[in-house]
Amino acid sequence: MIKITNLHKSYGSTDVLKGIDLEIAEGEVVAIIGPSGSGKSTFLRCINFLEEAQVGSIEINGAKVDLENYNKKQVSDLRKKTGMVFQNYSLFKNKTALQNVSEPVRLTRNTSRQEAEQLAFKLLAEVGLQGKEHNYPIALSGGQQQRVGIARALALNPYVILFDEPTSSLDPELVEEVLSVMNSVILHKKRTMIVVTHEMDFAQNVADRVIFMADGIIVEQGTPNEIFENPQNDRTKKFLKNYLKNQNKFNEVL
Amino acid sequence: MKFDFEYMISLLPKIIEFLPIVLFIGTLSFLLAILFGLLFAVLTTNKIKILYPILKVIISYFRGVPTLIQIFILYFGAPQIFPSFSSMNAVTAVIIALSLRNAAYLSEVFRSAFLAVDKGQYEACLSVNMTKWQALRTIILPQMVRIAIPPSGNYYIMMIKDTSLAFTIGVIDMMARAKLEAAVTYKFLEAYLMVGLIYWMISIILSFLQSKLEYYVEKPYRKEEA
Repeated sequence: MIKITNLHKSYGSTDVLKGIDLEIAEGEVVAIIGPSGSGKSTFLRCINFLEEAQVGSIEINGAKVDLENYNKKQVSDLRKKTGMVFQNYSLFKNKTALQNVSEPVRLTRNTSRQEAEQLAFKLLAEVGLQGKEHNYPIALSGGQQQRVGIARALALNPYVILFDEPTSSLDPELVEEVLSVMNSVILHKKRTMIVVTHEMDFAQNVADRVIFMADGIIVEQGTPNEIFENPQNDRTKKFLKNYLKNQNKFNEVL
Repeated sequence: MKFDFEYMISLLPKIIEFLPIVLFIGTLSFLLAILFGLLFAVLTTNKIKILYPILKVIISYFRGVPTLIQIFILYFGAPQIFPSFSSMNAVTAVIIALSLRNAAYLSEVFRSAFLAVDKGQYEACLSVNMTKWQALRTIILPQMVRIAIPPSGNYYIMMIKDTSLAFTIGVIDMMARAKLEAAVTYKFLEAYLMVGLIYWMISIILSFLQSKLEYYVEKPYRKEEA
């Protein structure tokens, strides 16, 4: 179980997260939606300590960090429970696709190079990248890079995978291949996932729960049906209405 | 026109005999400069208290005072205050002066190379649970090397050429040999042109080797199927 309690984060005098409480069950897929600047990505990055929140506590499957009193070891234990997929992929540019997946396993899980590479071959095949194992990131398309990113996160067998707008940097025609890999991870790996996304279709069709964030708080949460068909809060309604309006405009242009 | 071409060619073996000392001083100074440069870069980027302003002044000194004057200060001047320095031989003095001076420059090269590595690379390392040291060793440093090679190569070539200042404190190197020959025969143009041409050749060869090295480390960043 993931349990986040009263999480506060500020940059100087700007409060970005104003008290987030969230519990997520094992295997649950949670989509976080909301307007830009609402703190969605910051929240995600606080979970694996790429950003340090100042108040509150984070607990993932037994590893707990109390933000007002913690040590490096606790942070490292917490990070071991998480994997992350980045908006701009952030593959290691000096490593091949294979090494991007195998090296972290070799370095952080006390695994032999051979074993780590076997695992990497298997995972890259699962995300549809057979034959691309020895390509460097520069010789891969955005969609392929992001699929390597997903394989890299999976390789460490984390309790939860954090997806930070995984399709936002992709050309529209490449979004589908990444979403379909994410779908297959959900189906076959039964992994807990927290996905910050602007893909409303994905949130609606794939997530177990949708969270709407605005101004550093969770405004509303529920099943995709509750949020998309019957939102309670005015801010949620307005956000979804705007989204639909833009979508329609976009369709008219097409 | 008075120009003794045959004499000039005859100087080639006599001068090139001292190529090893030139390469030794230049290369050892360069390696030490890399070491101290990295140290300076780490200390200045981390802005360690007290040490930071002192280091800034030291770096400013090495960058601001001409190489020849630094060599003289160290070799002739320093023993006045530190008597033990008087036993330092001339080669050591040149190596110390050249390496510290260029460490100051290289530290800026390394610092900018470090800043030029995408911040997301380090975050990705943390996200896969690497330690700071693992991240530095396997991801950040290799990417820094790629950025730092072209300017560092320039400094290496500059240092090889700067070793020609060593003759001023009595090191017998290629320049000293050429000067000696010229003093005997009064054929200054031939002697100095010869030593100049040899330095030029060294610089061309090193540039060529550098471009080979650049091609090699650029491999991950070229768009080609593996």
